[in-house]
Amino acid sequence: MLLMQQIVNGIMLGGVYVMVAVAFTLTIGMLNFLNFTIPALFMVAAMVFWATMSGGFGEGFDSLFGSVLPVGMQWVVGVLLALIAATLCSLLIERFTYRYMKTRYGDATEHAIPLVSSLGFLIIFEHIVIMIWGTDPMSLNSPFGAATWRVGGLLIGVPQLISLVLSIAIVAALHLLLKRTKTGRALRSIAENPDTALLLGVDVQRIVPVVYVVTGLLCAIAGILFAINYRTVGPYIGEQVATIAIAGMVLGGLGNIWGAIVGGLIVGLLEALATYWFGADIVKVPIWGLLLLVLVIKPTGLFGQSAIGKGKF
Amino acid sequence: MKPTSVLTMLLEVTDLDVRYGRNHAVKSLSLSLPLNAIVTVLGANGAGKSSLLKAIMGIVPATSGSIRFDGQDITGSTVPQRTRGGLVLVPEGRQILTSLTVHENLLMGAYPRKHFDHRETDAIYDRFANLAQRRDMQASVLSGGEQQMLAIGRALLAKPRLMMLDEPSLGLSPLLVNQLFTLLGDLNHEGLTLLLVEQNTHMALKVAQYGYVLELGKVSLEGTPDQLQDDDQLQAAYLGG
Ligand SMILES: Nc1ncnc2c1ncn2[C@@H]1O[C@H](COP(=O)(O)OP(=O)(O)O)[C@@H](O)[C@H]1O
Ligand SMILES: [Mg+2]
Repeated sequence: MLLMQQIVNGIMLGGVYVMVAVAFTLTIGMLNFLNFTIPALFMVAAMVFWATMSGGFGEGFDSLFGSVLPVGMQWVVGVLLALIAATLCSLLIERFTYRYMKTRYGDATEHAIPLVSSLGFLIIFEHIVIMIWGTDPMSLNSPFGAATWRVGGLLIGVPQLISLVLSIAIVAALHLLLKRTKTGRALRSIAENPDTALLLGVDVQRIVPVVYVVTGLLCAIAGILFAINYRTVGPYIGEQVATIAIAGMVLGGLGNIWGAIVGGLIVGLLEALATYWFGADIVKVPIWGLLLLVLVIKPTGLFGQSAIGKGKF
Repeated sequence: MKPTSVLTMLLEVTDLDVRYGRNHAVKSLSLSLPLNAIVTVLGANGAGKSSLLKAIMGIVPATSGSIRFDGQDITGSTVPQRTRGGLVLVPEGRQILTSLTVHENLLMGAYPRKHFDHRETDAIYDRFANLAQRRDMQASVLSGGEQQMLAIGRALLAKPRLMMLDEPSLGLSPLLVNQLFTLLGDLNHEGLTLLLVEQNTHMALKVAQYGYVLELGKVSLEGTPDQLQDDDQLQAAYLGG
């Protein structure tokens, strides 16, 4: 029963990894760009949400919103601010990493420059947060308490369940957007061949920011759900989650949304089981061990196709 | 019937230059295209034909010179602006999106249009029965001939005023080449203006009303098909002169 409980916990945990893995895989599939700022977007959103909920912005902010908002609605402001903050940060990266490098140096995707530059942004964002709130983990006054359901002998956390359902719903919506809408087809055309997309009249420069907005929103929702579920946030949560999410993405196959979903759930499950069997200290060993094993057997990951960034959606 | 000012010119290219760094691909080229005509541009590999079409489309910038389309100077316009204005290019190698289905490729053709009814694809499927059978398959399964149909069908859905084609007969069997040129003739009869780049001189001069021969980026010869066919220089141009 304890094992079953761990499996349930693991799948729930997977929901957060799924969204971060999908964010990674989107920019890789669309733009052939491994965006290392994704962990920072996740972390910034979690911190902004925490700050709104738990006095991180100071008394002035709290009293301002305390006077206009009905009690208990603070979390709505927190969610909105977190979404806005992560989206703005994401667009900042588009402007100063991807687009800048591309206009300056031709096809930026051929270079490691955007990658290194996005790593720089990760460090900058982390240190801005550290300058404001320090490095100590902060605890969140959760608006949702610790509601649980008992199903059979299993304990299911309601926030965890909601976040799992929400993350899968969001990813499914994203899939529909890509498959069924005009913008989605344009994005998939860019993913396969930006020159062809341009030839057909797609304003590639205008539509690329859409990918960054989606990335920002995915990371923000994941960050908020993380904060609600674990009720602890700090400047390094992004790195912790993202290293595992990256493993999930690669496991599923680079640039493949369904791969990222399955990969994200597998690493979540693996983390919970490894913690149960071996303790929390070495959870990353089995995750990366499995990843390396899969890569040896199938270098493209479970669902990956051949070349990267060539029409994965 | 050399194009004169009596005819309405849909496209007028004046003193166009295209450079890739030091490589001077198109040199002071002028060309005009009357409404409802088929004009062909001939020339050996590397003569600058594709560069000319790409510059008209806006894919490569014109280093100097001007391009007027439908009475407007479009020299500085972006590709999306030109596609919305009714210019379309069926590119060399077709550039089918192989990760999309046949149907999705057609829908992408209509991308520049604000108002588009998905049922308009029916007309394309009527014209190209092979595409109708493969409607929901990945475009990667298509044969070369089917890919060319798809590329043309996709271009038609943009509702173009001018369709440019870059060596559409390349790699097609003689039978398909015949079908292709029949199709181009039909489209022209339906009112579409065509700018056709070809290496298949014989066929191109059969459908076109006027032709230009490019040599090292310059117009070396121009005239009606009759004038061009009688000219000894045409062969020379093909050998890269
Ligand atoms: N992207 C490019 N960069 C540099 N040179 C190019 C490029 N594209 C074409 N060229 C050169 O420009 C000249 C004309 O090429 P192109 O327009 O493709 O001729 P054609 O279509 O008649 O074969 C050739 O010398 C070719 O090597
Ligand atoms: Mg060419």
